[in-house]
Amino acid sequence: MPHARKTERGLLSLGGLLLLPRFEHSSGPWPQIVGYALSLLLTLAATLLVVHHLIAPLYLPAVILFLAVLQAGIQLGLFMHLREGVGPSWQIVALVLAGIVALGIVIFSIWIMAFKSGVS
Amino acid sequence: MIGQVQTDARERPLEFRDRRDNLAILGFWFFLGSDVVLFSCLFAVYAVFQGRVAAGPTPRQLISLGPVLVETVALLTSSFTCGLAIAAMRRGRTGPLAAWLGVTMLLGAGFVGMEIHEFATDVRLFGTWHQSGFLSAFFTLVGTHGGHVSFGVLWGAALLVLLWRQGLTPRVARRLYTFSLYWHFLDIVWVFIFTVVYLAGKIT
Amino acid sequence: MTHLLAQLFPPSVLRPMELGADASIVIATVAIAAFLTRKRRWGWLWREWLTTVDHKKIGIMYLIAAMLGLFRGGVDALLLRTQLAVPQNTFLGAEHYNEIFTTHGTIMVFFMAMPFIFALFNIAIPLMIGARDVAFPRLNAISFWLFAFAFLLFNMSFVVGGSPNAGWTAYAPLTELRFNPSVGENYYLLALQISGIGTIATGINFLVTILRLRAPGMTLMRMPLFAWSALITSSLIIFAFPALTVALALTMLDRLFGSSFFTIGHAGMPMMYVNLFWIWGHPEVYILVLPAFGIFSEVVATFSGKALFGYPAMVGSMIAISLLSYGVWVHHFFTMGAGAAVNAFFGISTMLIAIPTGVKVFNWIFTMWGGRVRTTCAMLWQLAFIPTFVIGGATGVMLAVVPGDYQFHNSYFLVAHFHNVLIGGVVFGLFSGLYYWWPKMFGYTLNERQGKWAFWFFLIGFWVTFFPQYLLGLEGMTRRIYIYPHGLGWSLPNLVSTGGAYAMGVGFVILVYSIAYSARHKDLDLTGDPWDGRTLEWSMPSPAPEYNFAVLPKVSTRDAWWTMKQAGRTSIRLGEIEPITLPKNTGMPFLLGLSFFVAGLGAVFSWWPVALAGLGGVLALLVWGWFVETGDHVIPAHEVRRSETLPGRLEA
Repeated sequence: MPHARKTERGLLSLGGLLLLPRFEHSSGPWPQIVGYALSLLLTLAATLLVVHHLIAPLYLPAVILFLAVLQAGIQLGLFMHLREGVGPSWQIVALVLAGIVALGIVIFSIWIMAFKSGVS
Repeated sequence: MIGQVQTDARERPLEFRDRRDNLAILGFWFFLGSDVVLFSCLFAVYAVFQGRVAAGPTPRQLISLGPVLVETVALLTSSFTCGLAIAAMRRGRTGPLAAWLGVTMLLGAGFVGMEIHEFATDVRLFGTWHQSGFLSAFFTLVGTHGGHVSFGVLWGAALLVLLWRQGLTPRVARRLYTFSLYWHFLDIVWVFIFTVVYLAGKIT
Repeated sequence: MTHLLAQLFPPSVLRPMELGADASIVIATVAIAAFLTRKRRWGWLWREWLTTVDHKKIGIMYLIAAMLGLFRGGVDALLLRTQLAVPQNTFLGAEHYNEIFTTHGTIMVFFMAMPFIFALFNIAIPLMIGARDVAFPRLNAISFWLFAFAFLLFNMSFVVGGSPNAGWTAYAPLTELRFNPSVGENYYLLALQISGIGTIATGINFLVTILRLRAPGMTLMRMPLFAWSALITSSLIIFAFPALTVALALTMLDRLFGSSFFTIGHAGMPMMYVNLFWIWGHPEVYILVLPAFGIFSEVVATFSGKALFGYPAMVGSMIAISLLSYGVWVHHFFTMGAGAAVNAFFGISTMLIAIPTGVKVFNWIFTMWGGRVRTTCAMLWQLAFIPTFVIGGATGVMLAVVPGDYQFHNSYFLVAHFHNVLIGGVVFGLFSGLYYWWPKMFGYTLNERQGKWAFWFFLIGFWVTFFPQYLLGLEGMTRRIYIYPHGLGWSLPNLVSTGGAYAMGVGFVILVYSIAYSARHKDLDLTGDPWDGRTLEWSMPSPAPEYNFAVLPKVSTRDAWWTMKQAGRTSIRLGEIEPITLPKNTGMPFLLGLSFFVAGLGAVFSWWPVALAGLGGVLALLVWGWFVETGDHVIPAHEVRRSETLPGRLEA
C-alpha cells in the first residue's frame, strides 16, 4: 500500500511545521513575561475602546472579539506549548475541530433562534 | 532545539518521558477540546438570552466594569505565574515551582472570592436568576467558569501536597503539566467571557 | 415520614404492573445472590469482574448491560404496541403510556445502543489495531461504572419515585417543574448526566488508543474500517456530548435551582432546549450508526473472502458524514418555524448526507460482487441491513424536504423512519458484530441454526411492525397518542404492527435461548480464527488472552492477518516471548460509580446532604487515585507460552 503511506506522509508534511513534534527548552521566563505583558495590554486596549467609545458601536464587538482571539492565541502559543508531544500533535487537529464546532454552534444558534430568516 | 524531532526519551522534558504520561497529556488535550464545545454552548445560550430580560436588569444595568477588571487582572496574573511554575519545573527547580504554584492558587482563590462577592451584590441589587432568562444565562455561563476555577484551585492544592509528598517524579510533573494546560485554558475562556459578557454588555 | 413514603412511592409506582415487576426484580436478585453465595463466588465476582481494568472483560460487562437494556426497552415496546393493537384500548392509561414511551426511547438510545457499541469497541478495537490495552485502562473502567450506575439509577425510577414521562427528548416546558412536579424527570436528567461523563471519557480513551497505540507499521490508512469508525465516532462523542450536558444541565437548573431558562413568563425560551438537544442529537445518530457501518465493513469483507472494495472512499465518506452531521440538526424541528432560509439551509445539508452514505452502500455491494459469500448469521444481518437501511435512508430524505416535513412531522411516518434506520442500521449491525466477535470473547461460536431462526423472526417481525407505520403516518396518525377511535382506517395497520412487534420479541427470545444453549453445548473455536478472518484479532487464541498479543505484530499492509496467512507468517517464535506488564485491578472505578450514584440519588429527591456526601466521595476517590498508584502486575513468559501453545502457532 505505498499509496496510502504517501498520503499519510503528505498529510503530515502538509501541516509540516504544525505537526512535527517538538519541545520548548527556553532558558528563561521570557516567553511568559512577554505573554503576560501582551495579554495585559490587549485587555487594557479592549476595555479602553469600550469605555471611551473610540470606535463606532457597529464595529466595536468585532474589534474586541478579534483582540480576544489574539489573546487566546498568545495563551496557546506562549503558555500552553501547544505543539509539544511525542508523535504527531493531534491536539492541534482536535482544537481546530473544536473551534470550528464551537463557532458553528454559536453562529447557527443565533441565526436559528432569531426566528427571522426569510419570510416568516 | 525548537523544530527538531527528539526520539531519545531522556532528552525530553520530565513529563514526556514515560509512555503513559505522553498518552495522558494527549488525552487531556482532547478533554479540553470537549470543554471548548461545552463553553461554546453556554456562550450560544448567553447570546440568545442576553436580550430576554423580562422584569430583570439589562446587561448594561447589571454590569460594572471596575470589579471585573480586577478579577481579570488577577486571573491573567495567575496564568502568568502558572507559566512561571512550569518554567521552573522544566529547570528541575522544585522550590520556585511550589512557590509559583502557591501564588497561582492564591490568585485563583482570590478570583473566585471576588466573583462570589460580585454575584452576591448582583443578587442583592437585582434579585435572583429566577427573574429572567438573561440572568439565568449570565449566572450559568460565568458561574460554570467560576466552578471550573474553583475545581482548579482544589486540584492545584492537592498537587502541591502531592509534590511535597512524592517529589518531582515524571508522574507528578505530568500532573502539574496537565494542570497548567487546564489553568491557561480557563484564562482563555475568561478572556471571551470578559469580552462577550462584560465589555460587549457595556456597548450601547 | 408519611410525606417521605408518599414521595418515594407515589401511586404511579404502585400499579399492579409495577408491583409485578418489583416482585420479579426481588426474586431475580435473591436468586442471583443465593447462587453466588452457594457457589462462593462473591470474591470471584469482585476480583475478576467488578474491579477489572481488562478492556475485554469491561466489554463483556457492557454487553450484558446492553442485553438487559434491550430486554427492558423491548418489554416497554411490547407494552406500547399492546395498547395500540386495537382502537379504544384500555390496557394502559394515558399517564402510564407517556412513562413507557419515555423509558423505551431513553433506554434504547442510552442504555442499549450506546453500551452495545462500547462493548464491541472495547472487545475488538485494541485487538484489531495490535495494542496490548486501551490508552487509559482505569479510566475505561470508570466509564463503565459511571454508565452502569447511571443505568441502575434510571431504572430505579419506576420502582421508587415514578418514571420520567416527557418523552426521550424531554422537551421543555413539558419538563418544567410547574407542569411536571414528580421526580421522574430528575432521574432522567441525573442518570443521563452521569452516564454522559463516562461516555465523553470513553471517547477520549479510544481517540488516544487509536491515534497512539497502533501496532508498528499500521498507518491510519491500513487500519481496519471498524477502527476508523471508532476513531470518527469518538471524535463525534467528544464534540457532541457537551451540548447534551448543557441541555440537561439547564433543565436541571430550572427544576432544582429555580432558574428561568425555559419559563416563558420570565422571558425564557424553551426552543433553546430543542436547539441544544439536537446539536447533540444529530451527531448522536451517527455516533450510533457509524460503528455499525464499521462492523458491516469488516463482516462483508470477511464473509466475501475479499478485501473491502474502495477502502479510501469508505474512509473518506465516513469523515464526510461526520463533518456534515454537525450541520443538519434543525431538520429535527423544521416546524418550529425558524424561517425559510434556515430551513432551506438545513434541508439541503441533510440531503447531502445521502451522498457519502450512498457511496458506502455501493462499496459494500461491490465487495460482495465476485466474492465467495458465506451466509453465516453475521453475514445475514449484513445482507438484511443493506435494503432495510436504504429504505430508511430514502424516507429520511423525504423528511428532509421541508414542505414535506410539515406533513410528516411527528407522525408515524417519522416513527417508522427512525426505527428503520436505528434498527435496520444500528441493531442489525450490533447483532452482526455480536455473532462475529462472540468466539473472540468466549472461545466458542454461537449456534448458527438457532441464530438463523432468531434472524428471520426478527427481520420479518421488523418489516411487519414498521411498514404499516409508514401507512399510518400517511393516514394522519401522530406519534405518542395512546388511544384512537374506530373508523379512521388505523385499526388494521395497528393490529398488524403489533403482531410484528411480538414476532421481534420472539426473535429476541430465540437469541437469548441460543446464547444459553451455545454456552452449554460449546462449539469450541480452537484455531482462534473461526471465520478465516482478515484482521489482527483473529491472529490470537480464542478467547483473547488477557495480554492480547504474545508478541506485538508488525504490520505492512491492510488486512494484516490475511497477508500474514498468505505469506505463511502466522507462527510466533518461542524466543520472542517476553514477560508482559499489565495494570493491576482496582476497586476505585466501582466505588467512584457508586459515589456518583449516591450523589445522583440525593439530587433526584433534593436530599442535599446525601448529594453532597456522594460528591465528597467522588472527590475523595479522585484524590486517592492521585496519591496511591495501583501499580502493575507481570505475566511471566512461561504463562504466555502455555496459553499460546493451544492453537499450535508456537515454533521453537
